[in-house]
Amino acid sequence: MIDERMEEQAALHVLGVLSDTEAYEFKKAMKADPELQACVARLSVATGALAGSVPIAEPPLRLRAKILAQVAPVQKTISLPERKSGFSLWLPWSLTTGLALLCVLFFAQDSRLRQTISEQEKQINNLNSLAQSLSAATNNLQQTVLALQETNQIGNLRIAMLNSMLTDLPKAVAVGLWDKDQQRGVFVVQNLRPLPADRDYQLWVIDPKYPTPVSAGVFQVDVQGNVRIQFKTDKLIESANRFAVTEEPKGGLPTPTLKNLVLIGG
Amino acid sequence: MSLCAQTVFVRALPIFDARPAGNFLFLTKPVNELEAQDRDTELLRLIAGGDRLAFAEFYDRHSTLMFSVAAKILNDAGEAEDVLQETFVQIWEKAAKFDPKLGKAASWAAILARNRAIDRIRASQRRSRLAEAAGAAHAIAAEVSESANETLYGHDKAKFVHSAIVELPEEQRQAIELAYFSGLTQDEISKKLNTPLGTIKARIRRGLLKLRDQLEGVL
Repeated sequence: MIDERMEEQAALHVLGVLSDTEAYEFKKAMKADPELQACVARLSVATGALAGSVPIAEPPLRLRAKILAQVAPVQKTISLPERKSGFSLWLPWSLTTGLALLCVLFFAQDSRLRQTISEQEKQINNLNSLAQSLSAATNNLQQTVLALQETNQIGNLRIAMLNSMLTDLPKAVAVGLWDKDQQRGVFVVQNLRPLPADRDYQLWVIDPKYPTPVSAGVFQVDVQGNVRIQFKTDKLIESANRFAVTEEPKGGLPTPTLKNLVLIGG
Repeated sequence: MSLCAQTVFVRALPIFDARPAGNFLFLTKPVNELEAQDRDTELLRLIAGGDRLAFAEFYDRHSTLMFSVAAKILNDAGEAEDVLQETFVQIWEKAAKFDPKLGKAASWAAILARNRAIDRIRASQRRSRLAEAAGAAHAIAAEVSESANETLYGHDKAKFVHSAIVELPEEQRQAIELAYFSGLTQDEISKKLNTPLGTIKARIRRGLLKLRDQLEGVL
């Protein structure tokens, strides 16, 4: 049974206001006491909620790339062979001139070796930079591969990347895949804002055969703003030129409300 | 990279899991807190093993919360960016230290960002400014249009959490907010509120317990 004092210490611990000494003692006590651990876990629900109750502030997009680049695998450094501290340690000055010349030759080789290593290091740096710059492209590629994985059919697939039309949600992104043969598709969304219960996102397929976009149904996103749906349309789609997502009243509308355009792409 | 190798690669990404579908109309992923917690724990395990994709996903899930906390404490977006960067490097290096028995990953990440922000304030000796700021206005406004909790729990739950906090007795809420957001020590809070230290500790304890009781089962 945890006494009131320990409960108090636990509360101060989860708020991060124990002094260094108190924190040390508390952590020691916690390590040996599963009940105290459970108490901390339960209180951290409250501090987590407290932290999240501040007004929302989105970090700038460039920061993500910067941070990801910072945790790139540590570049291996090539250690250079240790240099001798002086000729006298290993080369008695009484050695012949021939040996001295040999030494000069070694120094020349050492210099060339250093130059080679330096060039290789530069190449490694360049490759690392290239790998980082390709990471975004790789993400897109992953999505494409998923599409192939989902349908197991490469032909007759229409793959479209949709970008955000919302200035306050620039990270929102989606990929639409349409299988013309099967007349069905897969739609993957990330980073959209969850909607209130009386609103839905509505997916549209734009086919030049029809004067207005064809509804592909409504959907909601999870709390992270993500969702993966499979969809069909009421009308036969001959050419899924573009996809769009609008925000509509619950259940959707027969035609899109263009001022509520959220994502579009093709 | 071969197509086959790429296929194996993408299977590690949860959002792209290829579950068999019973029908083809609007199958949305269910919101499941437990699932989210498990995912966070798994991500931190992968990060501890040096998985950059897992790190990127963890960033996407929690950077808004962490940045919001840092921005609130520092009241400076530029410094909050520095704090977010430092905290994520810390997560990259110390992910193995996360213990799911001691709470949710989101709370853990938030407190890491909070501690970094407070350290920064202390290092730059701006405590007086911060204390004034914390005293002048509560960290959590009575009315807030959108809180960082929305990114974690959705609109309705975030609203519920906000209500639970603002409905705490004033003296408990004040002590808790000063403790979490101001960087003041227990003694300094006691002096600032002109209240004995023991009373401050008791208020913090009672307030947090009350909040915990309200939120348990909801979050």
